[in-house]
Amino acid sequence: MKGLLKVADNNPAETLRTVYRRWLADGRLSALLVPARSRSGVVTLALVAQPEALTEAAPLLPCLHVNGAQVLADVGRDAGPDTAKVGAVLRPCELRAVVELAKLQQIALDNLVLIGIDCPGTFKVATYRKLLAQDPDFDNNFARKRDLANSELRTACQLCETPQPLVFDLAIGYIGLDPDRELWLEAATEKGDKLLEDITLEPQDEPADRRSALETLITRRREQIAERLTELDRAVLGPENLVRFFADCLNCHNCMKVCPICYCRECFFDSDVFRKDIAEHVRLTRRKGLRRMPRETLLFHLTRMNHMMTSCVQCGVCEDSCPAGIGLATLFKKVARNAQEEFGYLSGRSLEEPLPLTTFREDEFQRLGEE
Amino acid sequence: MADGEFEPKIVGFLCNWCTYAGADLAGTSRLQYPPNMRPIRVMCSGAVDSVYILRALLEGADGVFIGGCHPGDCHYVSGNYKARRRLVLFNSIMRSLGLDEDRVLLRWISAAEGRRFADTVAELVERLRKKGPSPFRKLWEV
Repeated sequence: MKGLLKVADNNPAETLRTVYRRWLADGRLSALLVPARSRSGVVTLALVAQPEALTEAAPLLPCLHVNGAQVLADVGRDAGPDTAKVGAVLRPCELRAVVELAKLQQIALDNLVLIGIDCPGTFKVATYRKLLAQDPDFDNNFARKRDLANSELRTACQLCETPQPLVFDLAIGYIGLDPDRELWLEAATEKGDKLLEDITLEPQDEPADRRSALETLITRRREQIAERLTELDRAVLGPENLVRFFADCLNCHNCMKVCPICYCRECFFDSDVFRKDIAEHVRLTRRKGLRRMPRETLLFHLTRMNHMMTSCVQCGVCEDSCPAGIGLATLFKKVARNAQEEFGYLSGRSLEEPLPLTTFREDEFQRLGEE
Repeated sequence: MADGEFEPKIVGFLCNWCTYAGADLAGTSRLQYPPNMRPIRVMCSGAVDSVYILRALLEGADGVFIGGCHPGDCHYVSGNYKARRRLVLFNSIMRSLGLDEDRVLLRWISAAEGRRFADTVAELVERLRKKGPSPFRKLWEV
C-alpha cells in the first residue's frame, strides 16, 4: 500500500505524532523507538510505550546523536515473545546499519517493524539547540525547506547519498513534497501494510516531484563528495600524511564505541593481546629508537577499517564522538565507498545480499594468489 | 643488519597444510633462497587477520607474505577463498589511503611446490629491494 497522507493544520510533526499515537493506542505496536525532545531540552532517542507519552516525540527532529541501530542492537538483539511488536522510526543511515547488524546476527527483526523516514540531513545537538533557540518551530521549518544545502549539517550528512529509506517495512517521505499539505507513506511488507490499515491515504505512485527532488539532492551531494574527496586526498594520501591525519588520536576508542557496525563484545584492541611487560616494550621500541605514546593508534584505525568498512553506512557518529576532531566522516566516505565497490556491495541496500566477507565465488579475483 | 646494502625484512604467514610444508620441502630439497623471510606458521591463510599484516608493516617490515593452499585444496574447504576476499578489502583500503599494497603478496603454494616457494621468496625480496625500505621503518609516530 502506498499513497499520500493529508497533513492536518499545516503541522507535519503533529500529524505524524497522531499516526504514531494510533499505533500504540490500538496495540498494533507495543512500543515505538522515536527521536524525542523533552521540555528541558534533552534531545535523544526514546522508547515510547504509552500513547500519551508521545507528546515528547519529535518526529522530524533533525539531529542524530547516536545511531539508532546501535540502540536496537542493545534492546532488540533477542526477539522475545511475539507479543512485543516494536516499531523503530529510523533515518536512512540508521536503517542501513540495522540491515547490516541483522545480517551480522546482532538484531532480531522478527518482532521489529522498521519505519524509515526521509532525512535531508542532521545537525550536531549543540548546533540544533542554537537553531531551535532562534526558531521554536525549527523541525517543521527545516522539513519545509526546499534548498537543502546547509553548511551547518553534520559532515556525514553533507556527503549523504541516501536521504531516503532503502530497506523498510514502512517509509515516511517528505522530500520533494509540501509537508504542510501531505506526506508520502509506502508499505513494503505485510508488517508495513498492517500499520497503514485504517489510515486514510490518497493511493498513488511515488510523486514525480519527489523522485526528481531526491535525484537533484543526490546529484548535488555527489558533486560535494567529489570536491571533498579531492581535498581529503591532499591531507591523507601516503604514510607521512596518514600519520599526520591520525596524529591527534587519544586512543579513547570512542569512534569504535559509538559505531553501530563495531559490535564485538570485546574489541581485540581492548583485550590483553597487546599487553606486555615493560622490558618487552623497551625491546620493541629499540627497533625504531622511539615510539609514540599512547601506542598502536594508527594500527587501531587501520585494523578497524579492515574490520568494518564493508558494512560502514557513513553515518558519521564516529567523527562526532572524536575529541581530537579527526575527520573520519569524509575519510570513511572514500574508504567505505571504494571497499564496497570492490565487491559490488552497498551496505544496508538489501537484507538478502550476503556480507562481502562471509561469502566468495571460486572464479573471482583470480589474479591474487596466482600471479 | 649492517648499514650499506638494504636487506628487506619480510614477515611470512604460511598455512600449516600447504605452504609451510612447501617451505619444508624447499629446505629438505636443499634449494637455495634468500634468508630475508621470517616464517610464521598459521593454521590457514584464512586465519590471517589484517591486523597481523598491518602490525608487521607499521613496525617496519618491508614486506608481508601470505601463503595458502591452491583454490579447491584448502584443508578447511574455503579458508583460502576467504583470505583472498580479505586481501581484496585490504588492498582497497591501502589504495584509498595511498599506501603501497605491493608490499604484501599472497600466493598459493602446495606442499609439493618447494621450488615455487623458493622462487616466490626470491621474487618478493627482489621486488622489495627495488622499492627500498618501508617508509614505516622510520615513522615512529604511528
